[in-house]
Amino acid sequence: MYDLVIIGGGPAGITAGIYAARKKLKTLLITKEWGGQIIKANEIENWPGNKNISGVQLMTQMVEHLKSFEIETKEKTEVINLEKKDNFIIRDDKDNKYEANAVIIATGKIPRLLNIPGEQEFKGKGVSICSICDAPMFGKKDVAVIGGGNSGFETALDLIKYAKKVYVLEFLEKTLGDEMTKKKLLDAGVEIYTNVAVKEIKGDKFVTSLVYENRDTGEDKEITVQGVFIAIGMIPKAGFAENLVEFNKIGEIIVDKNNYTKTQGLFAAGDITDVKYEQIVIACGEGAKTALEVYDYLK
Amino acid sequence: MKVRVFSTPTCPFCVTLAEYLKEKGVEFEYIDVSVNEQAQKEMIDKSGQMSVPVIEIDGEIVIGFDQDKINKLLKL
Repeated sequence: MYDLVIIGGGPAGITAGIYAARKKLKTLLITKEWGGQIIKANEIENWPGNKNISGVQLMTQMVEHLKSFEIETKEKTEVINLEKKDNFIIRDDKDNKYEANAVIIATGKIPRLLNIPGEQEFKGKGVSICSICDAPMFGKKDVAVIGGGNSGFETALDLIKYAKKVYVLEFLEKTLGDEMTKKKLLDAGVEIYTNVAVKEIKGDKFVTSLVYENRDTGEDKEITVQGVFIAIGMIPKAGFAENLVEFNKIGEIIVDKNNYTKTQGLFAAGDITDVKYEQIVIACGEGAKTALEVYDYLK
Repeated sequence: MKVRVFSTPTCPFCVTLAEYLKEKGVEFEYIDVSVNEQAQKEMIDKSGQMSVPVIEIDGEIVIGFDQDKINKLLKL
């Protein structure tokens, strides 16, 4: 039986863990992986105290800091169900069951996928969600970036250094990314298609082409590409708690200003919540606030 | 034991992997496939992957920073 179970090991969960441990709460932190979205950031320049630090380095320091306190952690573990009887009952994907008086959900966001044929099949075989990892693999090849927001534009910028031809495909009538970046891309010969719906990724051993529908005409087109980079934003994932929390229309957990969800003893912090801005420093602040609130609640 | 890491300079998991191996005192050859086209081709042929990191441990291919598999192969 724990005072507190924290679900999630990104900036919000780690900070909540540090604060909970310092309050001597008997705490367990369960996470699929450490760091969450920050491990994909090469350069972080807005974390006070470090002019420039990589996401991996910041994550490593945070985890070390957390583990210097008395706290139990379970890594590579995903929570699959959360329910409340007298206490909270948490079940993970390894058939373990834990009980706690209070729970903080800090599971953050994960990349949104297209859910179209070929997407899973060709993952790592041309389909990628990490341009800073895989862009150099597409030297002299043709690639499509799905998503015309800032993250799609940044992905295209990474790719023009290597690829022969880059397409950007946007579902809406207009791209939403910064105009300045768009100009850079157009100057570099990137073709931007708007109002198109990507329908299928085809290939044999590796990706060979992509099929999209022109939403103006309803006509299907196929372009030859060896790479497809998906950059259509992030989604929150807290389905395991669906009976205990209220979601807003994009699936974020609605919390009050002290991070309470609609269920007594259940809290949420960081990017999983409907707090407007998503920054590492904000997630940490929210994590700290929430742990302090839990301490107050349990008193 | 021969350990080779196929990587690109900006890939976060490659950095994590390299740091992990250093921490465990494992000697390895670091191959930057963003500049070494031949190694890139070799990596794609051997792993069937166009995604880094790929690790080769005595001829066995590991895709991604799969800590459990790496530990097993390196007997860590």
